[in-house]
Amino acid sequence: MTLRLRRHEFADDHKLMMAIVNRTPDSFYDQGATWAEDKAFERVTTVVEQGAEIVDIGGIKAAPGVEIDAAEEKSRVVDFVARVREAFPQLVISVDTWRAEVGDAVCRAGADVLNDAWGGADPELVDVAAQHDAAIICTHTGGVTPRTRPYRLEYDDVVASAIADSMAYADRAVAAGVAEESVVIDPAHDFGKNTFHSLEITRRIGEMVEAGHGRPVLVSLSNKDFVGESLDLPVGERLIGTLAATALCAAAGARIYRVHQVVETRQTVDMVDVITGVRLPRRAIRGLQ
Amino acid sequence: MSTSEQPVPARRVVLVPGVLALLPEYAGQTDPVAELRDAAVAAVAWAGPDAVVVAEPQGERVVAALRDAAGDRLEQGVGPAVVVVANGSAKRTEKAPGHLDERAVGFDEALGEALRAADVEHLRQWDGALARELMVGHPDGFARLAELLTDAHPARVDYADDPFGVQYWVMRWQCES
Repeated sequence: MTLRLRRHEFADDHKLMMAIVNRTPDSFYDQGATWAEDKAFERVTTVVEQGAEIVDIGGIKAAPGVEIDAAEEKSRVVDFVARVREAFPQLVISVDTWRAEVGDAVCRAGADVLNDAWGGADPELVDVAAQHDAAIICTHTGGVTPRTRPYRLEYDDVVASAIADSMAYADRAVAAGVAEESVVIDPAHDFGKNTFHSLEITRRIGEMVEAGHGRPVLVSLSNKDFVGESLDLPVGERLIGTLAATALCAAAGARIYRVHQVVETRQTVDMVDVITGVRLPRRAIRGLQ
Repeated sequence: MSTSEQPVPARRVVLVPGVLALLPEYAGQTDPVAELRDAAVAAVAWAGPDAVVVAEPQGERVVAALRDAAGDRLEQGVGPAVVVVANGSAKRTEKAPGHLDERAVGFDEALGEALRAADVEHLRQWDGALARELMVGHPDGFARLAELLTDAHPARVDYADDPFGVQYWVMRWQCES
């Protein structure tokens, strides 16, 4: 099934880079580097040049912190979405929000995708996506409250839980009127999960690809704590670990990669696609002269 | 020729290199031998679908691939024709498959001149031992050309280059008989 992100369509063999653009002063990786709107816009320009098909604009950091209400969240993202929409008509704009009110405002400003990292915490978000013919990312969080850290959460089978919950969410979105070809599922590494959960999700991501029955799988691995804990490395030194996890997910068929580093991730995914025979080598002459 | 005999078309002879990058199983997103491929496909098409192929097993696969690529462009009714698969040395540069051998360029220049002029004496007398040392592709093909080009006009040179340190030629000869 051809993936459709509102006005943009992508063939089944096209793996997509979703570049993270934070309009926040305190996100874990960039620590406010793109908090200023012009800096965020520069970031968009850069990732577009690097080949990202999607930008994922967020106005609230995932971790606990200062309460950001919907009005403040909208003030951070709505006008910015409109600016990006105008400057980059061919770019897919995703907004990282769980709130229907924010989703409605950004879709009116030109967003194509609502990336609900918090697993449907606001039940009306699917209705907003349907009203605007937008796509929606349906994540698994184990039912945790938005902006909370996992605490002693356990699963009988985390992969089965991720599949069941994300597919149920996707079904709910379709029932609300979201187009089937515009629904994406996401196991949400580290959200409602300890490191062992995220590792198991990574190891068995192919099961989710299979169970999705054509619904594309998005993976958000970039510089996360499960990488850091696996290698005992702080934020800023997790790229190689991230790319190793990316390679496994690419080999298993994950379609969308939510990333800080577009170029490195693209090369990793392209290399995996060449190894697995999805893509031809760019140019081969060694030993064939 | 008696009046009852049909005129026998003059023999066509073609030389192409046995480059494995011409095979579809080694295709990439971009073609590193696009210009060579165009020339080789056109030359093989000129020789027609029934040309005798003088090649080693890899070279036979190359000709088959070139014929597939030529498709409808294969000329029909061209009469006797031969496609020889061979190429010059593979030691022309430091990056060449056989690394650099200072003798390679001179060897190829002399060979190339002989091929252009259909100089069969040169082809008969060339240094086969040196050819093998310089990793010439299918040296026996050049020996066969010495037999085939005895009444040939000078060659039409479609391609002559060494993009990867290996000397390639695509040439066509029209013979008198």
